Amino acid sequence: MGIRFDSVTVAYDGNVVLDSLDLTVEPGEVMALLGPSGSGKTTALRAVAGFVRPASGRVFLAEKDVTDLPPHRRGIGMVVQQYALFPHLRVDENVAFGLKARKAPKGEIRGRVAEALEMTGMAAYARRFPRELSGGQQQRVAIARALAIRPEVLLLDEPLSALDARLRSGMLTELARLHRELPGVSMLYVTHDQVEALTLADRIAVMDKARLQACGTPRELYRSPADEFTASFVGGANLVPVTVGAGGVSFAGTELKVATEGVAVGARATLCVRPHVVGLGQGPNQLVGVVREIQWRGATHRLYVEVDGHTVMADLRELKDPPAHGDLVSLHFAPDDAVLLAAGAGHG
Amino acid sequence: MAEAVRKPRVVRGWPRSSPRPFGARLLWVLPPVALLALFFLYPLALVVQQSFRPDSGGTSLQPYADVFASEAFRHALWTTVWLALASTGGCLVLGFLLALVIAFVPLPGAKGVARFIDVYLSFPSFLITLALLFIYGTTGIIGSFQFLTTPWGVLLAEVTYFTPFVMRPLLAAFSQLDTAQLEAASSLGARAPRIVRQVILPEALPALAAGGSLVLVLCLNEFGIVLFTGAKGVTTLPMLVYSKAILESDYPGACVVAVVNVLISVGLYGLYRVVSRRAGA
Amino acid sequence: MLVHSRRAKWAVWAVFLVLFLPLFALPLLVVLGASFATHWSGVLPSGLTTGHYRAATRGEALQALTTSLVTAVTASLLALATGTWAALAGAALKKRHRRLLDALFVLPVAVPSVVVGLSVLVAFSKPPMLLNGTRWIVILAHTVLVTAFAHQSVSAAITRLDPAYEQAAASLGARPAYVLWRVRLPLLLPSLTAAAGLCFALSMGELSATMMLYPPDWTPLPVLIYAATDRGALFAGSAIAVVLMAATLLVLFAVSRVRTRASYR
Repeated sequence: MGIRFDSVTVAYDGNVVLDSLDLTVEPGEVMALLGPSGSGKTTALRAVAGFVRPASGRVFLAEKDVTDLPPHRRGIGMVVQQYALFPHLRVDENVAFGLKARKAPKGEIRGRVAEALEMTGMAAYARRFPRELSGGQQQRVAIARALAIRPEVLLLDEPLSALDARLRSGMLTELARLHRELPGVSMLYVTHDQVEALTLADRIAVMDKARLQACGTPRELYRSPADEFTASFVGGANLVPVTVGAGGVSFAGTELKVATEGVAVGARATLCVRPHVVGLGQGPNQLVGVVREIQWRGATHRLYVEVDGHTVMADLRELKDPPAHGDLVSLHFAPDDAVLLAAGAGHG
Repeated sequence: MAEAVRKPRVVRGWPRSSPRPFGARLLWVLPPVALLALFFLYPLALVVQQSFRPDSGGTSLQPYADVFASEAFRHALWTTVWLALASTGGCLVLGFLLALVIAFVPLPGAKGVARFIDVYLSFPSFLITLALLFIYGTTGIIGSFQFLTTPWGVLLAEVTYFTPFVMRPLLAAFSQLDTAQLEAASSLGARAPRIVRQVILPEALPALAAGGSLVLVLCLNEFGIVLFTGAKGVTTLPMLVYSKAILESDYPGACVVAVVNVLISVGLYGLYRVVSRRAGA
Repeated sequence: MLVHSRRAKWAVWAVFLVLFLPLFALPLLVVLGASFATHWSGVLPSGLTTGHYRAATRGEALQALTTSLVTAVTASLLALATGTWAALAGAALKKRHRRLLDALFVLPVAVPSVVVGLSVLVAFSKPPMLLNGTRWIVILAHTVLVTAFAHQSVSAAITRLDPAYEQAAASLGARPAYVLWRVRLPLLLPSLTAAAGLCFALSMGELSATMMLYPPDWTPLPVLIYAATDRGALFAGSAIAVVLMAATLLVLFAVSRVRTRASYR
């Protein structure tokens, strides 16, 4: 069962918070909705759950129009950031809630609760109250509760945001395992964290300003972003303004060799170079500038180098003898590590 | 770029999990509203109707003319209003001072005091008058001067009973106040009176206004305290309603006084709601 | 925080106690003391006796105690049901309608209780709803008076309730009625019991409307206390007043026990 948004628009008091979203999540696929806060990603998820009503457009679950269906008849599992475990029910009662609400037979409820708790590693805590659990444990119970009703669509709204960094990476691994164990379940995963999206998603939908900006596999979006916003939001990028020439571009008086297909000669464009493909020293596509800032990050050094008034970031494997603040350095990158973005791509 | 400008229809998100149609939601409100109408609004309307029906029959303004002309009514109106205003003033001053100490000069037992206030609020008002009868009454501890049968006795009882009603919202407001503000102020060299005036008082104003207008309404409507003093000299509007209806069986007259009393109180209570909403209560 | 020197602190506290104790603690202590005495013309009561309590726990007074308890319990339960219903139904309305409903339900607070008594008397002294002379007219007036408080505190609790719970329940397939019964009401339980306690206490001490309405065979405690003091039996009246306070506190304590068990967070 998949999810399909058919030009879904949501407005509150005249403010458009989701602008004609068209998006399809295939059965069994993990789709991450990635974007900053206020980008409309949570609204999109809530439209699927049935908690916001589109002003126009339709929402389909398994090719069935559910736009006018109340939430309790949509049969979707949902996990939210603040867990929303029922504080007056024990862990197993929380997990059994959806089954009891559907009047499932007693024996079946017991089996499914045990199964869901087993799957999330919470079987030992069945008789605890939510307040007696840690944040990570509560989130596992919330996931177990959503899985117990065996939904074909699982909605996850920033499920890891309330956890600290160490727990977050552990839970990320768990979610990836759950996805492998439940290959038929489509997941819509809302997050503002690109690491979560890159790790977990089969495809990523990048959202900004109530609009879908780009959609593709993590590799596509990372290797060849279609626009500046996607480039900087997914993975971070150096974005410098260039003028397109024949067989290359010119930046700050330097000719750089990059692929220029599809962009007219003489046009203004933006060159996108990931910080980790930038090397220090002589090489092809060389830029010379002054070190303005140098940060040691354990395994890497990050250099901020000012080239003709533009800051270029470089992530370098830990340097034995790093340059000092104010030094003149040369940076270089391989021609096929850069992507040329036509001016204004993705914004009109 | 001839992109069509979309003007989405404004549709409210469902406020709760139940996307019932609007009509059904309105339907659910009906039973309690019907009960309220039958047992509260309808009787109130009858009182208004009765106030235009003199015993001599027909519909006229005669009861109003009679009541407004009577010395007893004008006296009661005046007594009610000034007693309520004076009590409110007293409660505000006293409540502010006491709340200030409880909130900002912490000493062991402050929590107990706050709990005591809660308990105190759950007792009926006439207990205070009953106690004052022992203290100031004709055979009392302090002696037999006719203090309690004067309005001053009622004033004392009302201030005593209603001060906690001011303290409660104040304490709530004070607990919201960032103590860092006070520390910053005193580290800048401000002394206590200055801090109270310039930092605490502005923060407390909404709570003071809300508590004050509530107490004003409660004082206007207070009956038990006045009844228990047994003072013939102190007659307030609620007292007049009672004596006209029960002791004199003058229902049209009682209804006229009732209408006047309701108009004053509801008007003030409306003000209180506006003020407390402004205060974000 | 405000006063730093130790001496100033003690001075402030002394002033506080001088104001606080006589004003608030003394009245209650005086009533308590008087209930055990037959005379009080000096600093301390004299002629100590428990006779008032013997009188206050039997016959007429015992009758009044049961009357008060039955009235208060019935009125608070009815008020709680009506107020909660109105608050729940109101929460689903648009803001403008909800405000109107709130204003309507809060009106009985603003209307003097004496007038509520008078209006109930006027309305229900004639057929088709002839309640005058029965206990129901007292219970009805009390219910009207305390419903406003029940409605106010429950609707305040509903606005504080995190909608994430009901949304989680709905996403799990629970119908609105099931959500109400299994999620919203249990989560509101602490506030409901608090509201019930408040209504009970108010009803126990209600005098104004009751004075207008009570039939001879349904005399609640406050009326009895007034009758005692009115005929000069102040000490006997104090004993009944202490019984009233004790009964109120006992029930409030029991209710707060239920509340602590019902509050999960």
